[in-house]
Amino acid sequence: MTRDETQVGVILRELQERAKELNCLYKVDELLNRPDLSLEEIFLAMIGVLPPGWQYPHDCQARIVFEDQVIQPPDFAPAPFVQSANIVVQGEVAGSVEVSYRVQMPKSDEGPFLKEERKLIETIADRIANHVMQRRLKTAFEGLSAAADGLASDKGEWRVVLEFLRDTDPVLLRRISRKLINHLSWGGVQEAKELLQRDGVATLADAAIPGDENRPLRRDVPARFVDLTTEAFRIASQHLSESEILSCVTTWIKEEKCSFLVRCLENLATSLGEVIEAIERYQHSAVEESELSLSTQKGLRVSLIRRFFSENLEFINIAKNFIEVKDFYDLLGRIIFPPDCHGKLGGKSAGLFLAKKIIEKAPEANGQLRQVKVPRTWYITSDWILNFVHHNELEDVLNWKYMEIDQVRQEYPHLVALFKSSSFPSELAKGLSLALDELGERPLIVRSSSLLEDRAGSAFSGKYKSLFLGNQGTKEERLAALMDAVAEVYASIFGPDPTEYRAERGLLDVHEEMGLMIQEVVGQKVGKYFLPACSGVAFSNNEFRWSARISRGDGLVRLVPGLGTRAVDRVNDDYPVLIAPGQPNLRVNVTVEEVLKYSPKRVDVINLEANAFETVDSLELLRYCGANYPQIRHFVSIIEHDRIEQLVGPVPDFGTRDVVFSFEGLIQKTPFVARIRELLTLLQAKLGTPVDIEFAYDGEDFYLLQCRPQSYSGDAVPVAVPQNLPADKVIFSANRFVSNGKVPEITHIVYVDLEGYSQLSDQAAMRDVGRAVGRLNKLLPKRQFILIGPGRWGSRGDIKLGVPVTYSEINNAAMLIEVARQRGNYLPDLSFGTHFFQDLVEASIRYLPLYPDDPQTAFKEEFLHHSRSVLEELLPEFAHLSDTLRVIDVPKETGGLILRVLMNAELDQAVAYLSPPRQREGQPESDVGVIDRTGEEHWRWRFRMAQRIAAQLDPHLFGVKAFYLIGSTKNATAGPESDIDLLLHLQGTEDQKRELLLWLEGWSRCLSEINFLRTGYRTEGLLDVHLITDVDIAQRSSYAVKIDAITDPARKLPMKEA
Amino acid sequence: MAQSVVSEPIDMGTEVRPSVPGQAPKKPTKAFNSFQIAQTQFDKVAEYLGLDPATRDLLRYPLREFHFAIPVRMDDGSVKVFRGFRVQHNDARGPGKGGIRFHPQETIDTVRALSMWMTWKCAVVDIPLGGAKGGVICDPHNLSLREQEQICRGWVRQVARNVGPLTDVPAPDVMTNSQHMLWILDEFEQIHGGRYPGFITGKPVGMGGSLGRTEATGYGVVFTLREALKELGIRPEDTTASVQGFGNVAQYAIELYQRLGGRVIAVSCWDQADQCSYTYRKLAGIDLNQILSITDHFGGINKQKAKDLGYELLPGEAWLEQDVEILIPAAMENQITGDNVDKISPRVRIIAEGANGPTTPEADTQIKERGILLIPDFLANAGGVTCSYFEQVQSNMNYFWEKDEVLGKLDLKMTSAYFAVSELSRREKLSMRDAAYAIAIGRVAKACHDRGWV
Repeated sequence: MTRDETQVGVILRELQERAKELNCLYKVDELLNRPDLSLEEIFLAMIGVLPPGWQYPHDCQARIVFEDQVIQPPDFAPAPFVQSANIVVQGEVAGSVEVSYRVQMPKSDEGPFLKEERKLIETIADRIANHVMQRRLKTAFEGLSAAADGLASDKGEWRVVLEFLRDTDPVLLRRISRKLINHLSWGGVQEAKELLQRDGVATLADAAIPGDENRPLRRDVPARFVDLTTEAFRIASQHLSESEILSCVTTWIKEEKCSFLVRCLENLATSLGEVIEAIERYQHSAVEESELSLSTQKGLRVSLIRRFFSENLEFINIAKNFIEVKDFYDLLGRIIFPPDCHGKLGGKSAGLFLAKKIIEKAPEANGQLRQVKVPRTWYITSDWILNFVHHNELEDVLNWKYMEIDQVRQEYPHLVALFKSSSFPSELAKGLSLALDELGERPLIVRSSSLLEDRAGSAFSGKYKSLFLGNQGTKEERLAALMDAVAEVYASIFGPDPTEYRAERGLLDVHEEMGLMIQEVVGQKVGKYFLPACSGVAFSNNEFRWSARISRGDGLVRLVPGLGTRAVDRVNDDYPVLIAPGQPNLRVNVTVEEVLKYSPKRVDVINLEANAFETVDSLELLRYCGANYPQIRHFVSIIEHDRIEQLVGPVPDFGTRDVVFSFEGLIQKTPFVARIRELLTLLQAKLGTPVDIEFAYDGEDFYLLQCRPQSYSGDAVPVAVPQNLPADKVIFSANRFVSNGKVPEITHIVYVDLEGYSQLSDQAAMRDVGRAVGRLNKLLPKRQFILIGPGRWGSRGDIKLGVPVTYSEINNAAMLIEVARQRGNYLPDLSFGTHFFQDLVEASIRYLPLYPDDPQTAFKEEFLHHSRSVLEELLPEFAHLSDTLRVIDVPKETGGLILRVLMNAELDQAVAYLSPPRQREGQPESDVGVIDRTGEEHWRWRFRMAQRIAAQLDPHLFGVKAFYLIGSTKNATAGPESDIDLLLHLQGTEDQKRELLLWLEGWSRCLSEINFLRTGYRTEGLLDVHLITDVDIAQRSSYAVKIDAITDPARKLPMKEA
Repeated sequence: MAQSVVSEPIDMGTEVRPSVPGQAPKKPTKAFNSFQIAQTQFDKVAEYLGLDPATRDLLRYPLREFHFAIPVRMDDGSVKVFRGFRVQHNDARGPGKGGIRFHPQETIDTVRALSMWMTWKCAVVDIPLGGAKGGVICDPHNLSLREQEQICRGWVRQVARNVGPLTDVPAPDVMTNSQHMLWILDEFEQIHGGRYPGFITGKPVGMGGSLGRTEATGYGVVFTLREALKELGIRPEDTTASVQGFGNVAQYAIELYQRLGGRVIAVSCWDQADQCSYTYRKLAGIDLNQILSITDHFGGINKQKAKDLGYELLPGEAWLEQDVEILIPAAMENQITGDNVDKISPRVRIIAEGANGPTTPEADTQIKERGILLIPDFLANAGGVTCSYFEQVQSNMNYFWEKDEVLGKLDLKMTSAYFAVSELSRREKLSMRDAAYAIAIGRVAKACHDRGWV
């Protein structure tokens, strides 16, 4: 995207002026915040800092008149061009601030002055006034406490207060008197009750006298009020001790001092800007939150949390214990908000802010945890996006979400382009520019922080965009790039994937706004690259345990070098290092081969020269960085022949040594893992739920990047395990080492008989079992069969321990089950899938160990043993294994039932039971349009399309004898990416075959395009056509076995009639 | 006596993965027991050699076995007791030699079988070492490194009096590596108060390890191959070869073979991404350094880059079908089977088994019938154990040779071993495999006899 450069240029020039003005204001604030200086000293310094804030500082002079003093520079000369503002303290003009030019300057908004300069001078006068007021009050208080100290035993102490208030603030005194009476009457003091009543009645009586409306009631009030005050304090002195009265009065005075904040927050109409101003005022009022009454404290906190972060009650309930008013101070300067803002900062910001405050404040957080940092962040409030849309008159997009998903998908690229070429509201552009000034040339990440993200249960992670920026170059370039990124992230809220996701979860009608976080990227510069030493994600609960010694609460860390993107997402060709923080020394990978295979091979970094996010080869990165990689000794290990060694001695030349990111030193020699464990434990305890955090480590400091409940992370949600299932329907159950998840539609069970396998006479037979399983893996419907076998699947050493298979021989299974049978008094260890553990994790293949000898669990051996096995029909060449290896076609054996496995790690329970399959009746009407969002539409649509192709295929023209459907479309398991597998029985000529393939190719491409519009998945054609001949059928070779097959047979579709 | 006596290699299972009988099993009678299989194999050779009953009785069983408990304080403070073994099958020809295995379902019979195999393995290359094996029932996947260290130290404390550089020399094995060996060595030296680097082999270079170990197995294969070619009167520069596998053994075998003047035209390897193997072919001969530059740590060749460099990409099995004089299976067991043996080109003269057990017995028979010279695995890949012996020798005298010296001595050992086997095979019309076993067992039997044990 190229942006109109002049627009940026104008903005920047204006911004330079604003920056000067802000700078001036900062300096004024700085001076006012120095209690060690007298007012006169402050003013004297101030006349020096004012001129640089004006347009022509060189000829500018400033003067402050206060009470009877005139503070001006020695060379002050009366000038004709003056801008001045009064200093008004407690409603009275106490002085003025003046700025003037000694010589004539070009004409502008107000003489030679800008309108912004008018605002500036008024703000400065206002701040001075506030400050004077504060000083006065402070002096008064000091007088008060001196009096209190001096008169500690003197009876008339509260009278000093009374007198003081009568003179300085009668309104306040009146409110305090009221509170005192209330206080006394709640305390059961009869006199006070009467006083309260009398006062109320009197008022009522006054109002009730007819015809007396014109009587001037007010005149009477001061006298009554004085009485009331005197009376109240008189009663109080009889019932309360001196110190009690004094402490009540002090608290109330302080509360009164921040009542403006309460009022501001209570009024829903106040904009965020006003709230922020009120907080700033409160900050300068020097009131400690702890000096306020508890109810006021709570009220303030809750209102602020609600205003800035979230209306979510659960969140507020926890947050109010940790987030104080003063915590907002450093947030305020970094919020970019539109005028009249009512937006929030969004879910991600809220989660992170709260987590940080918990770490800072929880008493159990130790020093190490207290050092956890959060990267410098600027926040863009959620309503900016609407503002942006209005500004560019793009209101149409707000209703995009109700369009058909394929339409959204088709239009989306144009929308992104449109957003990127839209202009930014100038306030937003200014805000972004300010942010860039503060953040400097550090690489940045623009992260979405939407309102929906804090709704329980909806895992929006990754649905909206997060963009990395190199943030290198001139200010203009950097600002343009940042604006570009913001526009793109904004567009992503209207993208097809989030829209579809929301539709599926009934969240379409929820009002969604997106806040943004502009965050500096954690890391260090190493040559041309910028990267954190390592990053990752950590979970309170470990759902993928690789050893029986690891418990669920031991947690899980996925750690990668460089940016954490590769740890957050599962990338199928690379692996993060897995650590269970509760058992950091039990590794998934033990042998050199395992460590090498499952180590991170690529690293995400920011290339400062290219000014872009990049993925680089980990070895090349190490060779490039060498010893400059932060904490290199703790991060890599050398492969020394048959073992993995930590770096000891000089850092070797990585060009000549085999080296691997193992994090071994980090795990063993630093408190890194212990800190993550403490962090997880603390956050889980305080938030009351297992958490999922993202973090980064730059080699020195540990940064928290995100914190949310683990249940938001989608993948592994505990499912309800039905309790009263009829015993005859349960095939097996488990109560140990259960993870979360469900495997709902199992049609085939591959069962390796425990006894049969151990009785096999030689290793060749055992290897045959492995090979047969590998063949079944290709033959059975993908993710619809489970493997049940003895001991350790994938055993490579002593294969008596378990069926020798490689990952590629089981990669289509839905689930891997290992059975540990008692032998004598010895219970064999299970592998927990060790041999391909990380492959299972990344592919979400479930693992479950079974202990059938436990009387608490079920294991229906007779079903597994006596159901008819279809092995011989499927793989006649492995018929000799029929005593050991059994394949059960569940629907066939049970009259149409399927097997469901439900697993709940919270309860440590799993059950597999027979149940009717999902309903698959009914025909949706449209072919492209309406998509039912149950997940069924993919196969249904494909099925209809296959029927249509068959119906239009002229069998004589193309020489086709029969048309079959096989694979996922036939099995009703097709997903958005699936092919349509067709099996065509040919008996025509080569020419006919060519013609046919051409004809089908046309269909294939068309369907692929339609599928893309429906689902967003790009495929190279959607049809997968298999051709067979009479010879194949006779020999039952190739796909011909599918025709009239015993299990999973091909389905014949009618073709066009001649 | 011209009949085949040992039609099948001995199956010891596990890490050595020798070849395995592959016929369809009848109704299983009992679970197989690798020790019984090893004894049966021995019995057949003993019969052929006409060993007396006492010798047979002695060699059918280990001389000594140690079974012991290793209590270990675990990281969580609890104590767990592990079971450890050391089996010394025979030390008539020299100190026992054999690995220490960590395995969750280790059995004493597996260890016995493996120790017997070590005895034969050392004898066939005529190095003065006997056979032993040890292990601990444990799964390192369930143990922290500290716990593993305690197991290692505990193991040696139990047998410190019964092992040593002059009695029994351990080495790394399944799920143990040089790290474990250094812990064991250190504990042994603490107990005995001295430095005994000769107690362990498989140590890192600089900690008593030998140079040349990386090359040893691959070079050893080619040393025997070179001798075989000489016997057949074929000049290496007139030959071509096809290699299965591209790991350590294959890489060094190719390097030396090409230095001898031969031309490797095809090499196959496993492709991690596609989960299948491919054969890469260049009829003009592969450029080893070029291919190495596009190969990962596991011997996986980058498919795309290979294509770009002009290599033909063929199915994994194609390595076997090439029109070459020499086949070197150097990947894994059971690769040449009854199903594919007839695909071997008529041009093939020699098969050198770089891997353990790449040929099934069924294929073995056909290869023999076709008159192809097969150099059996436990001779062809004995370069590894020979180099371990050199490591022990160097450690004992605390003087370490240059690599050339190690490899020169290796050449000598392999060559004479080959000659002995080949000579017997010719003279007795035995297959090379049978001859190798006969020589090995014969040498051990003679040592026992000479010592007056039997």
